[in-house]
Amino acid sequence: MKSKKVNRIIIKSIFYIVVVIIFIYMLFPFYWALNSSLKSEDQLMQSPATFLPRDTDGNISFYFENYKNIFSNSTFVRSIGNSIIVAGLTTLISLVVGSFSAFALGKLYFKGKKITLYLILSMTMFPQVTVLSGLYAVITTLNLAAVPSMILSYMIFTLPFTTWVLTTFFRQLPTEIMQSAQVDGATPFQTFWMILLPLTAPALVTTGLLAFIAAWNEYLFALTFTSIEPTARTIPVAISLFSGTVARQEPFGEIMAAAIVVTIPVVLLVLIFQRRIVAGLTAGAVKG
Amino acid sequence: MKKVLLVLLIALISMGIGFSDNVVLTVAAGAVGQEFELCKEAADEFMKLYPCVEVKVLETPDLATDRLGLYLQFFEAKSSEVDVYQIDVIWPGDLAQHFVDLYEYGAQDYVGNHFPAIIENNTVDGKLIGMPWFTDAGLLYYREDLLKKYGYDNPPATWDELEEMAKTVQAGEKKNNPDFWGFVFQANAYEGLTCDALEWVASNGGGTIISPDKKITIANKNAAEILEKVRDWIGTIAPKGVLGFGEEDARKVFQGGNALFMRNWPYAYSLGEQDGSVIKGKFGACPLPAGNSGKGAAALGGWQVAVSKYSKNPALASQLAFFLSNYENQKTRAIKGSYNPTIMSLYQDPEVLEATPIFGSLYDVFINAAARPSTASAPRYNEVSTLFFKAVHSVISGEEDAMTALENLALDLEEVTGFEVVWE
Amino acid sequence: MAKKETGILLKRQQKLALKLLLPTFIILALVAIYPLADVFITSFTNREFAGGDENKTEFIGFDNYISLLAFTFVELPPVLDENGNQTIDSKTGEPLYERAIRVLPRTPYRFKEMSQFDLFGKRYVVGARNPEFLNAIWNTLVFTVTSVFLETMLGLFIALVVNSNFKAKGALRTTMLVPWAVITVVSARIWEWMLQPGNSGFFNMLLFRLGISNGQASFLTEPALQMPSMVMVDVWKTAPYMALLLLAGLQTIPRELYEAADVDGASKPKQFFSITLPLLKPALAVALIFRTLDALRVFDVFQVLLGSKMYSMASYNYFQLIQNRQMGLASAIGVIIFLFISIFAIFYMRSMGVEKHEV
Repeated sequence: MKSKKVNRIIIKSIFYIVVVIIFIYMLFPFYWALNSSLKSEDQLMQSPATFLPRDTDGNISFYFENYKNIFSNSTFVRSIGNSIIVAGLTTLISLVVGSFSAFALGKLYFKGKKITLYLILSMTMFPQVTVLSGLYAVITTLNLAAVPSMILSYMIFTLPFTTWVLTTFFRQLPTEIMQSAQVDGATPFQTFWMILLPLTAPALVTTGLLAFIAAWNEYLFALTFTSIEPTARTIPVAISLFSGTVARQEPFGEIMAAAIVVTIPVVLLVLIFQRRIVAGLTAGAVKG
Repeated sequence: MKKVLLVLLIALISMGIGFSDNVVLTVAAGAVGQEFELCKEAADEFMKLYPCVEVKVLETPDLATDRLGLYLQFFEAKSSEVDVYQIDVIWPGDLAQHFVDLYEYGAQDYVGNHFPAIIENNTVDGKLIGMPWFTDAGLLYYREDLLKKYGYDNPPATWDELEEMAKTVQAGEKKNNPDFWGFVFQANAYEGLTCDALEWVASNGGGTIISPDKKITIANKNAAEILEKVRDWIGTIAPKGVLGFGEEDARKVFQGGNALFMRNWPYAYSLGEQDGSVIKGKFGACPLPAGNSGKGAAALGGWQVAVSKYSKNPALASQLAFFLSNYENQKTRAIKGSYNPTIMSLYQDPEVLEATPIFGSLYDVFINAAARPSTASAPRYNEVSTLFFKAVHSVISGEEDAMTALENLALDLEEVTGFEVVWE
Repeated sequence: MAKKETGILLKRQQKLALKLLLPTFIILALVAIYPLADVFITSFTNREFAGGDENKTEFIGFDNYISLLAFTFVELPPVLDENGNQTIDSKTGEPLYERAIRVLPRTPYRFKEMSQFDLFGKRYVVGARNPEFLNAIWNTLVFTVTSVFLETMLGLFIALVVNSNFKAKGALRTTMLVPWAVITVVSARIWEWMLQPGNSGFFNMLLFRLGISNGQASFLTEPALQMPSMVMVDVWKTAPYMALLLLAGLQTIPRELYEAADVDGASKPKQFFSITLPLLKPALAVALIFRTLDALRVFDVFQVLLGSKMYSMASYNYFQLIQNRQMGLASAIGVIIFLFISIFAIFYMRSMGVEKHEV
């Protein structure tokens, strides 16, 4: 009896140790970025590195210039809005179009399902670098502005993803629900829109989050497509254009400050909305 | 007189064109804060001279490969969006086909003022691809206070002297500061290593990889000797991490007070002299040491202004290029931003010398700078450089034996360029 | 009668399916077809990137592929002394062989040394026309297997904790969002800063303070430390993706199943293996496919942290395109990456039995 209890305590402690290690692993770089963002260039060069910003005498000394500089950088401030628009629209379109396709692929009967799935997947099996110049040619031929070009290009990566994940979740939904709804007289589309979709709420939210962050982080396409349209620059591009006061100098503190400024709201928004969205969607499905 | 007529003609044309739309010229410049500001100021001045022209300055990424990638996208699409490009000193050869010949638009009037080496570098098959804008050359930075402390009066004149001084000072300083090293430089596998290695090899009588008359000269004993010497430095007087260092990494170590010597471009000088810098007032800069050749070699850097072939207004854009690189603008940039001018007479201008006294001593360095073989190996310079820095990196990291690596390199270069190899 | 009805139902479903799939196909046609076809076609040419007006692009068949992948084995003859015996190097005590550069074929194409090995008392040298690319393939594969394995384990653990009733769940859920939310190009720079050689870098500072090393470890240039650093940086960013996907999968498993199992007296581990894993399989399969796909395509971390010191397939692709402007070669690399991904995708589908759900 005693050994079982000891066993459990040991397992529990190991468990908590692992959780703590994960905490440190996940959070530490963010803390380090925060620490670095509050240091001036000279403080950053200190060795050994300090856990809190200190000056040469060892006193704690915070440096706020980095934050001041990035907020006075109009490209950066505007880029936040641009990123929200581009990533938001990409996510929305990917989810809508993807869920349509997923419904068809997951619940309807037709020939050529496998081929369609693989075809959709194959869009995304190339590295970005390879398709970049081809895409640029398409964009210039169609004379698209920067924002639509980015959204359309990001589809190559987010659409297969949302389609496949949602297909998996749709497949798992029991067919009885569909059949009982059809007995009630609902068309397949109504079944889809009002019943099945809310049931896959967790999958929708998750794929939405992942698609959003993929578009949010994308750099290569954004750099090329916004090169002649500076007002449409997104966050990664704006950060890459940060520069020091002299040629070749790299403003590390400012880059870190930008990272902090961009990360915190995103995390907060997700925390607030994730619960709300899931609750809202599942509430609609709670019917007999 | 010709110039005045040309200006008048262009003014007339632009006024004629300008009834509906302004002519818009776009300049793709750097993203650097101060550089960007200076460029915009110059653009504003130009707009005052040519009222019907609007000049837009476009930022491009600081990272060289990203910037090149962006330019290549434009050229691939034959885009007329950008008229004037700021190009690196090693790009004229490779990208010549995308730029106009500035001699067609009146460059003869200006070329005489600039350093001949740079003009020669920018001339491909008799065509002037870019106007020199500002220049750069490798320098040796040294801690005056530490040299004095250990009894050395002057900075080293040869690599052997450098090694000896570095060993002594490092041994002494490391007792209190485990992060202290004798010599930091750029040894990451990138274009910067081509610069540093060219300096080592050329100063040791090993040639310049590919000679101006298009012979591959790199596989020789002098080159192997100096590369092995550098390999021995890494881990003894230079940290192992130097194999991943770029310019900024080396500067951080030196400016943090943790190195005796540094090889870097002139930009580090003004940064080191800023308030708050630990080494302010304690360091100096001088030409790089010599090897077997008896002379030090400094790699030539810098940027040029070029006009795109796909521009809709090449004549006007050329005028903009000449304007940006003229005496007044280079002087402003020198005084406000410490940009090394390419116009020789500026090095005797009292105002410039007052703002940056170090320019006086730099004049000799610039006159004798060793250009990378970008024009000789055009249009495959990038490939040549990549092969070179990878070979050097493998030697100095101890992966490969020097002579083998250089022989392999020579054969690789032969494959890429088709030039003849000079075997020792 | 029933058959006729099902026939009509089937047709209606097919029509609806077509309508639903139409937006996807439109987007596909618009954005994907031209670039992808371009890649395939260009890979059979010697096209140059930004090649200008001269139309020197020629069709060269499989030459690009051959130059990327060709390799050979050649025996290295030993260096003999006057008596015909093999000389031993006096310094190292190792038997001496000819220099590989003399033995490997040179015309019509040069094969460069990749590595040497011994077999049945003879020494062989492996030569390849493009050792860099073959190394890049190897690096990418090692990276993919390691990274996907670790991020799956970590992601699964986090997902299980967040889905359960443990006290840590809320905090863990927030924590895992942080790496996910940091912009990738910046997070690569943060890690680069932390991995700096010298005590201004975090890891070295820690090792130094703990007395383990002198604080001069160079993570990104020591061959032995490069791959672990890459994996550590990548897993940090990708474990949250895995966790989020698997969490969504876990949330679809009805609680009643667990309650029933509790009533039956099944232990927690048994519940995990007999309930959780099987029902999680589809979500796990999709997650694995996409994560592996992303790992095989890895570009950002390698380009920012290692540059030209160590290539992944995609970063080699980038450098070939930008520095050497060999568009034909770069496209061939893209196609090879595509083939690798296809192999992995088919492997996953088969082994996880996902196809069996075909309706």
